[in-house]
Amino acid sequence: MLVIRNLHTHYALSHIIQGIDLTVAAGEVFGIFGRNGVGKTTLLKTIAGWVKPTEGEITLNSERIDGLNPDRIARRGAGFVPEDRRIFPGLSVEENLTLGYLQVPGRDAAGDRAALAKVYVRFPRLAERRQQHGTTLSGGEQQMLAMARVMIGTPKLLLIDEPSEGLAPMIVADLFAIIKEMKQSGCAILLVEQNVHQALTVCDRFAVIERGQIVLSGRADNAAERDKLLTTIAV
Amino acid sequence: MSEAIQYFQFVLAPQMLIGLVLGVAVILVALGLTIIFGLLDVINMSHGEFYALGAFIAFALSSVGLPFWLLLILVPLVMLPVGYLVERGLIQRVFHSGDRHVRTLLLTFGLGLLLEDAFRLVFGPNPHRPETPITGGVEAFGIFVPSYRLFLIVVGAAIIAAVAFVVYRTRLGAMVRAAAFDRDMAASLGVPVQHVYAGAFAFGVALAGLAGVLLAPIYSIFPTMGRDFILMAFTVVIVGGMGSIAGAVVAGLLLTQIQAIVSLYISPVWSDPIVFGIMVVMLMVRPQGLFGRLGHG
Repeated sequence: MLVIRNLHTHYALSHIIQGIDLTVAAGEVFGIFGRNGVGKTTLLKTIAGWVKPTEGEITLNSERIDGLNPDRIARRGAGFVPEDRRIFPGLSVEENLTLGYLQVPGRDAAGDRAALAKVYVRFPRLAERRQQHGTTLSGGEQQMLAMARVMIGTPKLLLIDEPSEGLAPMIVADLFAIIKEMKQSGCAILLVEQNVHQALTVCDRFAVIERGQIVLSGRADNAAERDKLLTTIAV
Repeated sequence: MSEAIQYFQFVLAPQMLIGLVLGVAVILVALGLTIIFGLLDVINMSHGEFYALGAFIAFALSSVGLPFWLLLILVPLVMLPVGYLVERGLIQRVFHSGDRHVRTLLLTFGLGLLLEDAFRLVFGPNPHRPETPITGGVEAFGIFVPSYRLFLIVVGAAIIAAVAFVVYRTRLGAMVRAAAFDRDMAASLGVPVQHVYAGAFAFGVALAGLAGVLLAPIYSIFPTMGRDFILMAFTVVIVGGMGSIAGAVVAGLLLTQIQAIVSLYISPVWSDPIVFGIMVVMLMVRPQGLFGRLGHG
């Protein structure tokens, strides 16, 4: 599904991502951990096309996507839920959601309506607030909207950055239930998360990044590797 | 009482009507300007010359026998690819540079000068006055309204309503507003941001061209017509809020009525300084203008 080879990304003279290799299979959740400022968000932004890599390859379903514009990457099936949710304040909840349709080129209006109806069944709070502006929602509802907006496009790859940040435990649990559902539907998920214990409830594999490089990787179902992860990032 | 009614019918109402016609005209030009700014963050200094280009194209085509009514459709259609090519070929070349605002401002300023000289070379320096397509007038409540000015108000209002409908009530409009607020996020949802930018620029240019066709029978056609008109359009955009469609409409109607009233009660000489003074005060006390920017809630 997602294959990254020798990825390097710079911000001007700063070398942020320094040769990362990783793969994420369909139906797999891959957790990315590490301290602030080590390059986790930049990695997701590079895959999503917000930042152009300076070296290396990113392939999605055997197609090169590195260097493409974000809209072309989205149309190849990559959905991105960034850290700050990025809800459009001038758009209603429904308008925010309908933008997600654009990720599915060729789907007809009936398909779009069916996808919207499905999302409203899964997120009844969004259905209740469909005419409200997106930024009038609570933090948790905004995170749900950000997730739903991507889900409506049925992505093959989902990039999620710090989804639980600043949310109440109940909402976090609901959020991770959604991630699990996405995983079960066959979506490959790359998850950046500070809440390691919560993340490990859905992750299959993980990696720890330090100074733009992977310094530790392992399987979430391997107790020894989990312990090493928790020791490395001192949780 | 009858004196007051007569004063309204023969003095105040005609003056307000002149203000209303000018208001609709300015809004048509300002709409394109504000959409381009709201979406691309580009101050299009050549917008007035695109307004003039529309008028000159209509003038040239009418001289070979094409009727005015056909030109109302044909000229915007011709202007669309012009705007698209200018955005893709010129604006995009400097769009991603660090000092984008200065570069695009200078680039479009230069393009405006180039167009203005081209008009002078091709059509000469003197004004041309196309025939008014609708002659005569109608009387309503004792107020005489020239038919073409009434037509302009109705058509202008319809165009403004159509633009507002597209921007605020369609999925295309949602894409435009999303791209205006957050281009990266919009793109990651599949919005083809670069084409939306070029399309919006082309649409703004086509609107300016359409305004040129509509207004030529009233204000004449001459090489610097764009420069004269764009000052007012910029004022409307700044007072209404740069990038705000509702702001352009409200400020366009308000400022042109102020101009009309000032001309009547103080002096026409004071109408421009007072309106530009309002712009300066607005920039000092409420720099964001009356309304919020496109896509910003």
